[in-house]
Amino acid sequence: MRGNGPWKMAAGAAAIALLAAGCSGGSSDDDETLPNAISIGIVEPDSLIPSNTVEQNGSSVLASLFYPLVRFDDNRKPYTVAAESITHDKANKVWTIKIRPDFTFSNGEPVTADNYINAWNYGAYGPNAQLASYFFSRIDGYAQMQSVDADGDGPQKAPEPKAKKLSGLKKLTNTSFTVTLSAGFAGWESVIGYDAFYPLPKAAFKADGVLADTYGDAPIGNGPFKVKGKWEHDSKIQVEKVADFKGTVPKVDGITWKIYQDLGAQYADLLAGNLDVETKVPIESLASASGDLGARLQKSPSSAFAFVGFPMYDPQYANRDVRRAISMAINRGEMTDQIFLGSETPATSFVSPVVSGYRPNTCGDNCEYNPTKAKALYAAAKGPTDIKVSYNADGGHKAWVDAMCNQIKASLGVNCTGSPEAKLSDLLKKVRAHKSVGLIRLAWAMDYPLMENYLGPLYTTDGSSNYYGYTNTAFDSLVREGSEAATTDAAEKKWQQAEDILAQDMPVLPLRFGQNVFGHSEKVTNVSMDLFQKVDIYKIEIAS
Amino acid sequence: MSDTSILAAEVPAVGRPRSLAGDAWHDLRRSKVFWVALVLIVVILLMAAWPSLFTSADPRECVLSRQHKPAGGSAIFGYDFQGCDVYAKTVYGARYSIIVGVFATLIAGLIGAAFGLSAGFFGGWIDAVLSRFVDVMLGIPLLLGAIVLAKRLSSDPASNGVFAVTVTLGLLGWTTAARVMRSSVIAAKNQDYVAAARMLGAGNSRLLFRHILPNSMASFIVVLTILLGINIASEATLSFLGIGLKGDAISWGIAISEATGYVRVAAGPLIWPSLFLAATVLAFIMLGDAVRDAFDPKLR
Repeated sequence: MRGNGPWKMAAGAAAIALLAAGCSGGSSDDDETLPNAISIGIVEPDSLIPSNTVEQNGSSVLASLFYPLVRFDDNRKPYTVAAESITHDKANKVWTIKIRPDFTFSNGEPVTADNYINAWNYGAYGPNAQLASYFFSRIDGYAQMQSVDADGDGPQKAPEPKAKKLSGLKKLTNTSFTVTLSAGFAGWESVIGYDAFYPLPKAAFKADGVLADTYGDAPIGNGPFKVKGKWEHDSKIQVEKVADFKGTVPKVDGITWKIYQDLGAQYADLLAGNLDVETKVPIESLASASGDLGARLQKSPSSAFAFVGFPMYDPQYANRDVRRAISMAINRGEMTDQIFLGSETPATSFVSPVVSGYRPNTCGDNCEYNPTKAKALYAAAKGPTDIKVSYNADGGHKAWVDAMCNQIKASLGVNCTGSPEAKLSDLLKKVRAHKSVGLIRLAWAMDYPLMENYLGPLYTTDGSSNYYGYTNTAFDSLVREGSEAATTDAAEKKWQQAEDILAQDMPVLPLRFGQNVFGHSEKVTNVSMDLFQKVDIYKIEIAS
Repeated sequence: MSDTSILAAEVPAVGRPRSLAGDAWHDLRRSKVFWVALVLIVVILLMAAWPSLFTSADPRECVLSRQHKPAGGSAIFGYDFQGCDVYAKTVYGARYSIIVGVFATLIAGLIGAAFGLSAGFFGGWIDAVLSRFVDVMLGIPLLLGAIVLAKRLSSDPASNGVFAVTVTLGLLGWTTAARVMRSSVIAAKNQDYVAAARMLGAGNSRLLFRHILPNSMASFIVVLTILLGINIASEATLSFLGIGLKGDAISWGIAISEATGYVRVAAGPLIWPSLFLAATVLAFIMLGDAVRDAFDPKLR
């Protein structure tokens, strides 16, 4: 018994490893019930309620269940899909949306203007706490639907908001309605392409404004697919074709969204033929992937933007020169080459190259690797001798955070450590409480293809994702002026001026622009991924 | 066996009769396994205490441009994914392994000795209660218990996890030691010299610590030596799973875990710390085995 000790231990570790692999391996046999069906790997979505979905996995599944009002062409210009026409007044304030009369939900209900109005009211209503609620904030009456909890997280309940419906939404006929914005916005047509603006059928509500409890497990949508059975948590979501769909008809009869905990397990399943598409080949497999997959490994541009935020509430980083010096201490090119093997590109601007209005290298000298200048600047600005970089441990960020820290250490001669938090939400909770977290790892993928989407939410004083607390009134007003400009060209000029302010202030370190690096099995062909990091489910087909 | 030890312990030696320990030492000196284990352990202890004796490189100096470069210069094992010197990292990794191993074993030894001594010596209902408790503890799978405990103990993200892992392994690893101690105590308690001491009026504590404990230590120490090896392996296991050492602690488990993803690109960063880990664990277990053989009169 004594001699057995370590072997028992090894067997235990192996058993855990097998378990971990087993639970994400999924069952491949029962996916083949539909002969013309495919499988795509995802991570367990947070939610499948459109107005509560702000992450990529849920969003991908919803894209198969719903049909959006607009989609985007190759020049990122919106064109109508479920809408027949979208028109606006001169001030870009009142928008009239006519929807196509022939669409139905997968349960047979016709899609009417009421379905949109009810869904948007639900998403905007404060007490529903929908994560994508801020998308409705431009609509007139949004403020009246929110309430402020007087004692924060205290025992008292927040008072009920003044209104339950958006005053800016008016039904005209069964198939048309108007949206009145609180201020003109030329880009509004692009915004409504987002998931939060999908319609909800009558069947989704159990009472006026109250969602049925089970709706989120099997959402009924107006899209080309419907959920078969229901969402099997941590296992899969199976969808099958809707009979005589009126929009673009996909070429496959069904999709199994297979849920994995681990990208590595997903990759192993892809190689074994148990999975048809992996949307993100893990970093550690990149080196061998081209040999494993050959032409089945593909790359396409994505809208992802990775950056590191400075806690603006921390006096150590209050000096702009400290932030500039840290930025100059980082060799972005080496990181993308060595860690990401060229699958991502160095970012030296604050908006992604995929949106119109992007200019290369707006960050200028501040984002150029220059260790000598960085060190002198840092010493003169008396930056902290201990730099911490906080990141979420479940996102595969350790490798590059460690590498970045090593670069900072070498360039500035200070100590730098990566500090993992279990989940991003844990980290953000600490940031909101103004705890000392050091630099904060963050990333952004666009919701709608406008420059504003990279500026407004991230850096305006009341921006929804401005976690680090950057505030600059000149910046705020430029972004607002851009949004209210009569044409998108005029808007982009203003937004570019706003971006120049960021390049001077350096509230964040731009690091990398992402790419979709995806692989597929021999079974499927015509696989492509869009800027929103979604597989094009209308093009993909079974290889003959 | 007790006849010789009572002579050695109680009666002034006449003509230098060999004690049990003396006999064991006499055997050990002839055991090759013992010497191999001892040399390995001395080297590893030196590494843990003075890593700069073995390498002049800084294990924390990592340069991305050296990523996965083959061996060269002082980096005789090459470089890992982050461009750190694998040899330096492996040498510095010995320290936490030894610290965690030794202190976890000490904790386990103290708890085990207390349980074993009281259960074996007092017997009756005390023995029944304590032994059942040991059974319950034995029923907890080590990894499962460690995952739960280590997670609870290391909630502070700033700590490097050494304390949490040490306490976890100490609290979960004492059961075998306690059982061995109990059976040795029961065997020793029924010996004539104990009865004699009791008749001479010795109290419980004198009996326990002067007569029974010294004569029950042999197999207990052997169990602890083996446990030390197991604890070092467990620390690496926990660190590999991400619940052991963390932050900027350098550990073989972390190094192995980080290198697994790139094993198809460069195997060195995975193999070297694994070899060192295996050698260390093996050394302690070999030492334990050799010492047990030497102390076991039946094998003589």
